[in-house]
Amino acid sequence: MTALLPLVAIGVALLFWEGVARWSEIPLFILPPPSAIGERLARSIADGSLQRHTLVTLSEVLAGLALGAVSASLLGYGLAKSSTLEHALSPYIVASQSIPIVAIAPLLVIWFGPGRLSKVLISALIVFFPVLINTIVGVRTVPTELYDVMRSLRATKAQIFRKLEVPAATPVLLGGLKIGATLSVIGAVVGEFVGSDQGLGFLINVGNGLYDTPLVFVAVITLVAMALVLYGLVAMLERKVLAWRIVEVG
Amino acid sequence: MKSRWLALLLFGLVACQASESSSGIRLPMGFIPNIQFAPFYVALERGYFSEEGIELEFDYSFETDGVKLVGAGELPFSLVSGEQVLLARAQELPVVYVMAWWQDYPIAVAAPVGSGIETPQDLAGIQIGIPGTFGASYVGLRALLYSAGLTEEDITLDSIGFNQVESLISGRQQAVVVYVNNEPLQLNASGSPVNVIRVADYVDLASNGLLASESILAEDPDMVRGMIRATLRGIRDTIEDPEAAFEISKQYIEGLDQLSPADQDLQRAVLAESIKFWKTDRPGYSDPQAWENMQTVLLEMGLLAKPMDLAAAFTNEFLP
Repeated sequence: MTALLPLVAIGVALLFWEGVARWSEIPLFILPPPSAIGERLARSIADGSLQRHTLVTLSEVLAGLALGAVSASLLGYGLAKSSTLEHALSPYIVASQSIPIVAIAPLLVIWFGPGRLSKVLISALIVFFPVLINTIVGVRTVPTELYDVMRSLRATKAQIFRKLEVPAATPVLLGGLKIGATLSVIGAVVGEFVGSDQGLGFLINVGNGLYDTPLVFVAVITLVAMALVLYGLVAMLERKVLAWRIVEVG
Repeated sequence: MKSRWLALLLFGLVACQASESSSGIRLPMGFIPNIQFAPFYVALERGYFSEEGIELEFDYSFETDGVKLVGAGELPFSLVSGEQVLLARAQELPVVYVMAWWQDYPIAVAAPVGSGIETPQDLAGIQIGIPGTFGASYVGLRALLYSAGLTEEDITLDSIGFNQVESLISGRQQAVVVYVNNEPLQLNASGSPVNVIRVADYVDLASNGLLASESILAEDPDMVRGMIRATLRGIRDTIEDPEAAFEISKQYIEGLDQLSPADQDLQRAVLAESIKFWKTDRPGYSDPQAWENMQTVLLEMGLLAKPMDLAAAFTNEFLP
């Protein structure tokens, strides 16, 4: 019964929304009722446009997430292990986070062209910081006693990395990846807003330009669903990878 | 404690709303503060709006947001490009175009001098950069292609954002879609002279002007007439004395007076080029044929599903 509560809650909210939109006769371009959005969703699926634009955004998001997560993990490990490197780079990395992504997105489009590469890079940039920070925290929180144990067993650096640091840092790293997965969607859409002729960000622009508000909602809902699925996949990965830990705790 | 915070939040929202509504009319301009809005700055500075009982404030939000606010009856007026009127009415927004400001559609395609791209026919087979496949730029390009018997299939179109100058100079694009009164001047000034293929030379389309809500036309026609009168006086003054208009505009465009002399001259050139689009024997008049042409282009593009009642989309009734 408890598992059904979220579904009941969303059902009640949609009914309330439908009722308010119909009762108050709010024009469609201001607040379309869920039934109008559903009808627009069906039309977008029937003509294939929603699938086409979703696949484009999804490919950018996955590539951006992979690029951002891998590069942030590598650099994060380096920063966690070397205080010199951390002192040299940290101020700039932290400062870079104050740059609004919408401000540099047009520059990336100029530098790397209007194709998918610029969107992937924007997505990677937005994923980078949470994964980087979590990697550093994950590696730094490995208890020193465990290092002592590994050294007393004459473990090599590679063995310490593989058998101690990776398993110990993984829970925190996956926490960063969960945040990164949802942010990567925002990154790709920001890129598509700046200059694109495909993708869900483009579809939102088209909907706005044509005063087709139900289409805007369709694109936004698809983006939310995409972010939720990505988050769920990382959560599944977390459960699988950390199964040993759960068993141990249990 | 929670309810106290909620009450404070609600009070704050109401206070914001109240202070906004008591300060007069907000006019969505559809773009950032810019020298092309000089007629409005002049009309405000010289008190033309005040004489009509209108306290005007400028709102530099997106064009489509302005149209929606007018359609929702939240604001009485907005500045729009012609195609927006038909697109909005197709979605049942109760809006009417009441005053033509720009006499010609200001969109063009620019290509480097020596590229051999000089007419719409020359666009076949080339790579063209456009801010996005929506809005006035897209409509203008499609109209230009239509006039030459071409379609989008005949060109390679790249959405590049508002990076036309950089894209053309760097050679990433063979041609770019521009506003006649802006990017070509920047390109020429930066030592990259361009051929300009103007949409207006091949097809007459309804261009930028003043949009009003159907409710304000019915409830306060005198205010609509006053708004148009004041705006037309600002346009006339700007045409007659561009330098005075430029000086007045410095108060409204942050940083304009801080520009180098060369950059200020570039802005003067933008104003001079814009003024060419405003000159007419019939200020404010909407040509029905331009609206017919606009509808034809939008139907051909698939942006309109069926022809509409154009007589309801624009009116010359409120002109002086």
